[in-house]
Amino acid sequence: MVSEPSISPERFAVLVERAGLKLTPEQFEELREGYRFVERMIRTVRRPRDRAAEPAHIFVQPRP
Amino acid sequence: MNPTLLTVAEASRAVADRSLSPAALTEAYLDRIDALDGELHSYVTVLREAALDAAGAAAREIAAGRSRGALHGIPIGLKDIYKTRGIRTTAGSPRYQDYVPDEDAETWARLRDAGAILLGKHETHEFAIGGPDFGLPFPPARNPWNTAYYPAGSSSGSAVAVAAGLCAAAMGSDTGGSIRGPAAYNGIVGLKPTYGRVSRRGVFPLSYTLDHCGPLTRTVEDCAILMQALAAYDPQDPASADVPVPDYRAALSRRLDGLRIGVVRHFHERDAVAAFGPDNAPGAPYLAAFDTACRTLERLGARLADLQLSPLIDYLDANRLIMLAEAYALHEADFRERPHLFGHHMFARVALGAFLSAADYVEAMRQRRELALEFARALAEVDVAIAANATGPAPRIDQVPFWGVYERASYTGPYNLTGSPALSVPIGFESGLPLAFQIVGKPFDEAGVMRVGHAFEQATEFHRQRPPIAASLPQLRQQARPA
Repeated sequence: MVSEPSISPERFAVLVERAGLKLTPEQFEELREGYRFVERMIRTVRRPRDRAAEPAHIFVQPRP
Repeated sequence: MNPTLLTVAEASRAVADRSLSPAALTEAYLDRIDALDGELHSYVTVLREAALDAAGAAAREIAAGRSRGALHGIPIGLKDIYKTRGIRTTAGSPRYQDYVPDEDAETWARLRDAGAILLGKHETHEFAIGGPDFGLPFPPARNPWNTAYYPAGSSSGSAVAVAAGLCAAAMGSDTGGSIRGPAAYNGIVGLKPTYGRVSRRGVFPLSYTLDHCGPLTRTVEDCAILMQALAAYDPQDPASADVPVPDYRAALSRRLDGLRIGVVRHFHERDAVAAFGPDNAPGAPYLAAFDTACRTLERLGARLADLQLSPLIDYLDANRLIMLAEAYALHEADFRERPHLFGHHMFARVALGAFLSAADYVEAMRQRRELALEFARALAEVDVAIAANATGPAPRIDQVPFWGVYERASYTGPYNLTGSPALSVPIGFESGLPLAFQIVGKPFDEAGVMRVGHAFEQATEFHRQRPPIAASLPQLRQQARPA
């Protein structure tokens, strides 16, 4: 299912330029269409947190 | 007896009592590869001569009383992101189409030292994410239950080969479900061990903090046999954990009396539709199979209770954002300077990582820690958890959504985020295609999830069913050959 891109061509071109990517017109449109997933992921993880909430990828069992 | 239909445990006993020679077993698999893989596309490289040489050497060692254990003389395959010294390792990519490493993946070295024979390298989605892509040099593997259908990925070739009897077992990798998804769609067993339990050294990375290496097998007992060889501390893998390794086969049992099992139900019953839309609703046959599996576990003596976690999308989007950021960082130079060397799927799916900021990644990692702790606290109340795997049968291979990896619900990714051991086990069929669920454990408790998986397997018949293609060949010439 193809959805309407969530970002204008002009704004997306700025992101592409900043990333240093050289895209064909087809790649540009395809990534612009997929950009909505990036926006959703960012919305999901950006939320208020205590400043002490550190990132980690170690696994510690809670104390009983 | 068709030796390619034997489990690793059965073949191992036959090799040990000399009723089956490693050479006969290896030749039987090679014959099946010749006969079937033109349709299944599960191998990108077949090592006929080297495998037969290794089988001969294994036979001589065993005859001389120097058996190395249950894997000695057992033919296996490796996903083609596992480096193999002197053997082409493509990562499924035009970029590495002719790449021949000068080192072995640590996991392959451990399996080889345990006596396993390498039959060949298995088809994979490009860099373990870009597929099924019909524009790559290697055609996508096909589901042996129906070759018009998708076998899932990215460890597609490995799972297809195990299910179709083209090897006894295989190695895959799993960043968001790439072992457990193919295990589900192909009706076999797949284990994503705890992060740090099995070395990743010498395996092409996709996402450093989410990648796991693990086995694909026909039974849980076979999984335990492979894990005994694989689980070890590797000081050269930065994420490897120095944790004692139990006797996995000894931990298997037929009963689960008194075991407490948490059921992660809201992920598939409510959260999937809420976040990803109505076409993500589980099918009625899947819900029935899942409930029947729950009742089976209760009959085995387990006590079940629902677990309540944060919504599925909180786990999935953190997992996917971290994967995107790490995968893009890994390939950034090629995206900028050699984009033509990527396949279509790999390019689009990973190039999106270019549009994330450092702060986005850090926020996802902060969320990861919160969710890992949440899951650990939930598991503190039980011994293991069960959860859905794919909530329906495989789709047709020509109808796999291009953005499916981001736009659809997944029930495997949460446990890459938490690093938990997670085992996929068959629980039924729908329209002739397999269904599965997951058993998820506490960190480094692979023995616990395999105990539950084995008991469930012994109480059901799903693992005994084989794809029609696996039984479609005439008797092979080696079958009656004595050792």
